[in-house]
Amino acid sequence: MTSPSTSPLRGATAVVGIGQTPLYKRGSSPDREMKLCLRAIVAACEDAGLSPADVDGFVSYGSERNEGQKLMPALGTKELRFGALIWGHGGGIPGALGLAAAAVVSGQAEVVAVYRSLAEASGARLRVAVAQDDTAAQYLVNGIDGPVQICALRSQRMLEADGVPASTMFALAQAAYHHAQNNPAAAAYGRPFDETIYDQSRFVAEPYRLYDCSRESDGGVAVIMTSAARAADLAQPPAYLLSAPTGAAAGWGPLEENHRPYSSSGFGAVARRLWRESGYGPADVDVAQIYENATGMGVGAILDHGFCTAEEAGGFITFENLIAPGGRLPVNTSGGNLAEGFVHGMNLVTEAVRQIRGTSVNQVPGARLSLMTGGPGDSVVSSALLGGGDTL
Amino acid sequence: MSFRDHLIAAGIGADDPFWEALEGGEFRLPRCAGCRRWTWPAHWRCGACGSWDFDWTLLPPKGTVYSWTRTWYAFDRTRERGGDLPYVVVLVEIDGADGARVMGVLAGDAAPLKIGTVVTGTILPPVEKSKGYPSIVWTLA
Repeated sequence: MTSPSTSPLRGATAVVGIGQTPLYKRGSSPDREMKLCLRAIVAACEDAGLSPADVDGFVSYGSERNEGQKLMPALGTKELRFGALIWGHGGGIPGALGLAAAAVVSGQAEVVAVYRSLAEASGARLRVAVAQDDTAAQYLVNGIDGPVQICALRSQRMLEADGVPASTMFALAQAAYHHAQNNPAAAAYGRPFDETIYDQSRFVAEPYRLYDCSRESDGGVAVIMTSAARAADLAQPPAYLLSAPTGAAAGWGPLEENHRPYSSSGFGAVARRLWRESGYGPADVDVAQIYENATGMGVGAILDHGFCTAEEAGGFITFENLIAPGGRLPVNTSGGNLAEGFVHGMNLVTEAVRQIRGTSVNQVPGARLSLMTGGPGDSVVSSALLGGGDTL
Repeated sequence: MSFRDHLIAAGIGADDPFWEALEGGEFRLPRCAGCRRWTWPAHWRCGACGSWDFDWTLLPPKGTVYSWTRTWYAFDRTRERGGDLPYVVVLVEIDGADGARVMGVLAGDAAPLKIGTVVTGTILPPVEKSKGYPSIVWTLA
């Protein structure tokens, strides 16, 4: 503990169930998007030892289309008491946990599903769905379609002006592919990856090559949250939510590349709140799931959360440091968005919980504090710190 | 052809005077009429002083490269530029506008391109490639 916390949300709720469908190559799911969503929520309830009919709160983020009221007949919902979205895109995932916790602590709901479901059956590329048609004319007129190119502009500045070495981007990709080799459910399972493959892959938007970019998947992922008191009686060891702030400080938001500081991933203020509310600091974290829409933005998230400075990045963000079981900061231990699959990052939440339970395919021995950072560079971002029972 | 015939619905729409100025061959950015701050990207109210009025101020299209990316893939919503791959988009910090940055395609030779490189802008009329909007393209000075 670095300092005492007075946050009323700290440790008051826990993730008690996790559910995840197979992550299919985009456009290839045999099930429709809502069915994937239902399968994930039902699986998470079964994991927790709860009935799907007991879920009375529904929380997601960004462009989620499967509102709770649409799911009620299939879940047998007795009463929907709370339903809400965190604004933004992938930036809002950990914040969705915080929103669910706020609903539980304030008595608005007792059992909340936090979920994301995607299937490209409509024919629209998921990255277009992600952008929610809110890409401003300043971008589209100038040949900028969306997130990958925007993130590329920011990462180029991080590399060229801040002096963060490009080796950090490769290290993040290499760690993800390494971890995916132990995860039969990962898209990159059984697929070799090394520096030659990376260097010879095509550019998408410089400085990003193909392997710097997350792969879109069809799939559904859900977690169930409830009060710490109720969590104690359920089937799984609780992963307590210590803090999950959402936000954007002045100088951040949908500012059409006028962000300050520009090469940040936007977490400065959120990370300070995370450490203050949780009472922990970066040195205490055992394992982290770092949302990487593209590698460089994940590197920015690591910097923003205070794990190292730009000057230290080349020495800290290395393959050896980023892998389980023994690295200084094992990240993306299921393969992450790059190598497991990309359901707008929600699969990073389930992996963060597995690390607390001790059930990851790349388990960090004795992991007690498990971090998940949301979509970096989004107009609002969020982070969550989960802990085992002895971290409260 | 005018951008008004092809309005891109996204964004908040406060930058219409920017596009109107470009269609008239002028590069203008907004300054708050109350506190004189450069207020870019455009919005409806100055959050610093509360003014609702802005002066769209004529500027020479000059600045320095703040960042850049070279695109190698024809993305769905910018397919009109597929024939130009790879193309470079620069983010330009405009001279004399308190750090305001504007994006644009880089025309001509990109070989010596670096952050900090001086660039000048040329205004192009609305064409399909720029989605029926006028645009400003940049060249290394």
